[in-house]
Amino acid sequence: MTAELILIFGGMLALSGSAFVAFCWSVCNGQMARPREAALTIFDDDEPVGLPTDRFPSRK
Amino acid sequence: MKSQSLLTSIHPATVPDSLASHERAEIDASTRGPVLLFFGCSVFWLLVGSLLGLVAAWKMTHPGLLDSMAWLTFGRIRPAHLNVVVYGWAFQAGIGVALWLMARLCRIPLLHAKLLVSATLFWNLGVLIGVLGILAGDSRSVEWLELPGYATPILFLAYACIGVWAVIMFRYRRPGHVYVSQWYLLAAFLWFPWLYATANILLIWQPVQGSAQGAVNWWFARNVLGLWLTPIGLASAFYMIPKVLGRPIHSYYLSLLGFWALALFYSWNGMHHLIGGPFPAWMISASVVASILMIIPVITVAINHHMTMKGHFEALKWSPTLRFTVFGAMAYTVVSLQGCLMAIPSLNTITHFTDYTIGHAHLGLYGFFSMMMFGAIYYIVPRLVGWEWPSATMIRWHFWLAATGVLLMVGALTIGGLLQGLALYDPKVSFQSSLDFATPFRWVRGISGFLLLAGHLVFACLFVQMLLKIGHRRTGPALFTESKTEAASL
Repeated sequence: MTAELILIFGGMLALSGSAFVAFCWSVCNGQMARPREAALTIFDDDEPVGLPTDRFPSRK
Repeated sequence: MKSQSLLTSIHPATVPDSLASHERAEIDASTRGPVLLFFGCSVFWLLVGSLLGLVAAWKMTHPGLLDSMAWLTFGRIRPAHLNVVVYGWAFQAGIGVALWLMARLCRIPLLHAKLLVSATLFWNLGVLIGVLGILAGDSRSVEWLELPGYATPILFLAYACIGVWAVIMFRYRRPGHVYVSQWYLLAAFLWFPWLYATANILLIWQPVQGSAQGAVNWWFARNVLGLWLTPIGLASAFYMIPKVLGRPIHSYYLSLLGFWALALFYSWNGMHHLIGGPFPAWMISASVVASILMIIPVITVAINHHMTMKGHFEALKWSPTLRFTVFGAMAYTVVSLQGCLMAIPSLNTITHFTDYTIGHAHLGLYGFFSMMMFGAIYYIVPRLVGWEWPSATMIRWHFWLAATGVLLMVGALTIGGLLQGLALYDPKVSFQSSLDFATPFRWVRGISGFLLLAGHLVFACLFVQMLLKIGHRRTGPALFTESKTEAASL
């Protein structure tokens, strides 16, 4: 029972550990820098900031 | 972009430096087949799951309903409902949305579409065999893992294809920032096979003994919610809200804080389902602390979504995507804070083993996740089929039926569950009386099931019309002919 619970606890630790490794990678890779630029990556010339891209359909 | 073989995908040296000017249209077109296939299958299972849920709900007030056949008894219908909704509807809608988002955010056309089509077919085969197995009496009696052992390998094989695809897409993404939605999606894609394989090994193939099974069960069930469904739902919200409004997310730092807090702490949450159970106190305590820590990502996400919407709530009038997504975002805040509170032992003592927990689960899976998926589907499908939704009125009906249905259901189960829990806790009240307290609220739950089913029928009808391009050609969101003029007003 104790060994099994430690196994389960280890699984929880491992999941958090994988997140920690990914976090370190993101910091080293510059993902935390220039947040403004990161927030704008979903916009482009065709769909720039300021352009809504959804509305209820209307009959023309 | 030319399609690449699976083997050449191992190294991203062949990624082109630039894409054509019609990049977004090309990316959307590349996702059409697999994404629509996932959506179509998910809509089918949504209808099946709604029917099963409706029957299960009315059996709570009419125990003799449809009990002449073994496969229609509550012990089979209820797990069949849960697994159809989770693995049939939620997973496939989530994967469809995730595929489309991954392609857009990686800014490359979808690679290896055949791999994904195969995965869809295998996944649906696994769900079909599994649900028929449950109805035939082969349920494994492990909550969220009731699908019989002969269906599990098929599901795992299907998921393996999807997981491999996600890694390839991420590896081939165009250089630059990884948007917060991508972080959520990548985490979800990688964590789910880990959770699913571990839970199956420890519960089915080499089962742990005794109460440790409960620990594995709730570690899995809780993390499927928190590390699979939640990341996909939030990935959608962090894309759809800014994209529909045409304004960037309020604070990108806050969005990252929310993601990393979820990633680091969530996997510790599951044990709070076992408060009072035969487990080491330190294990339960660690889980309670982690559950309270969840307030950090929840509040950061809530603040971010609210501040992005601030001053633009009128957009809810004209955007179906935003209407569903904002409802889902608000439900996320409520259900997550409710979950934090339910981990406090003094409250857990009252709510555990009552309808309150059922209400909480429905607010999470339906109020939050399903509404997010509806919103995303309303945004994505017109861009894939090149046709606009045929009826704004039907979309409005869908929204109000779904919203009213889920609020009615959650409200009834929450109040009924609290009364039931308080009665169970009172030694002067008989067990039968505690059930009687909940009965009127279970009637309301049954009625709310009709509303949800009606909403799903409307949604399915809209979806089929879109696929077949039935009705007058309409203009609007997908073609952006009107929205450009709206920009100035925002």
